[in-house]
Amino acid sequence: MIVKDIIKPTVVCTAVALACVYALSHVQKITGPEIIKRIKEKQDTALNLVLPGFTIGEKRETTIDGKEFIYWEAEKKEGIAATRAYAFLAKSPGYAGDVDSMVGVDEKGTILGISIISQTETPGLGARCVEVAGQETLWDILKGRTPHTGTGEQVPFFQEQFKGLTLNSKINILKLGDWTSDKRESLLEKNGISALTGATITTTAVVRGVESGMMRLNRALEESAKEQPGGAR
Amino acid sequence: MNYWKEFRKGIWERNPQLVVGLAFCPTLAVSTSVSNALWMTLAASFVLIWSNILISSVRKVVAKHLRIPIFITIIATFVTVVDLLLNAYRPDVYKSLGIFIPLIVVNCIILGRAEEFASKNGVLVSILDGLGMGIGFGLTLVVLAVAREILGANKLFGYTLIPGMKPAAAMIMAPGAFFALALMLWGMNAINARKKRK
Repeated sequence: MIVKDIIKPTVVCTAVALACVYALSHVQKITGPEIIKRIKEKQDTALNLVLPGFTIGEKRETTIDGKEFIYWEAEKKEGIAATRAYAFLAKSPGYAGDVDSMVGVDEKGTILGISIISQTETPGLGARCVEVAGQETLWDILKGRTPHTGTGEQVPFFQEQFKGLTLNSKINILKLGDWTSDKRESLLEKNGISALTGATITTTAVVRGVESGMMRLNRALEESAKEQPGGAR
Repeated sequence: MNYWKEFRKGIWERNPQLVVGLAFCPTLAVSTSVSNALWMTLAASFVLIWSNILISSVRKVVAKHLRIPIFITIIATFVTVVDLLLNAYRPDVYKSLGIFIPLIVVNCIILGRAEEFASKNGVLVSILDGLGMGIGFGLTLVVLAVAREILGANKLFGYTLIPGMKPAAAMIMAPGAFFALALMLWGMNAINARKKRK
């Protein structure tokens, strides 16, 4: 009885669990480095995208208000003068999960570029925050017509409109439909962006995430200035 | 054992969603685009077939009262494998399917087939059962996704269909998914009812 009721089921359960764990550890060993590489690659492309032409310094991590904050310092030499800029990771809850973005700002608080690294918003609505405005249609592809691609890498239209806005004042969310380059001037004047149609929550999440990230960046810079009073700053 | 019948039943007569009424959650959630639907089908079928193989091969040593924890352990293992593989090699797919990859663990088709079929039948026929069920699940998913992507996003496979036309965004959201699935269920029931009458 003891053998049948206790020992055998225990052995079977243990064996199944062991086999599963063993198999998983092997899969993890193969995929683990690949996953880490992907994350790093993504971060590097995002950094280069938001701080074009800058030499990016070391990654810095601090804790602000009990939350981890990651930022980078960068420099660009133009002749003798060097311009400084910063990049930071912004995180804010969207409609279906956190929206993570990389933000590049110069010393005056003007946005040089943003790049949304990860999001799980609704396809067709919030997920359009990473959509590249496509010129080609399915028929073009089927007919083999080569789509006219722009110069180099295209920035998704939603992210493009952040370029040039200042973070010293609030970013206004306006409802003007999809962003096109002819709306740039009037939006810059109002320091605003055009919300994604049907995805106000996603839009707000990105904007507020960027804003609170800037606040944290300022505090992080203050703190690091305090720590090294004789520093370059 | 009629192998062909066991394979075929999942596609039409015992279609997991339209006849048995299982797995509505992933069906509604990932049918927003065709590529999502295809990848979901691949991922779920992979898990379904492999868990069917393993469960049917250990079925004789597993005590009856312990079967559910053991089945779930096996299923969760394969789901984790899919999760890791997609994360490493197809990060775009991993990103767009998101939480629905780990949720394959609780996909009722998989546990349902384990309980109803693989735990009572041999390995070979369990593979065929899993394959058929996977195809049936995928067909429903893809048909729904084609309808929703065309109507809701004016796109197919991610490419715009009619430039400049505003799509019916409701089709992308949950209500559109329910309406479309309801229409499919109605169609399926109507066809089957007519067949029965003859």
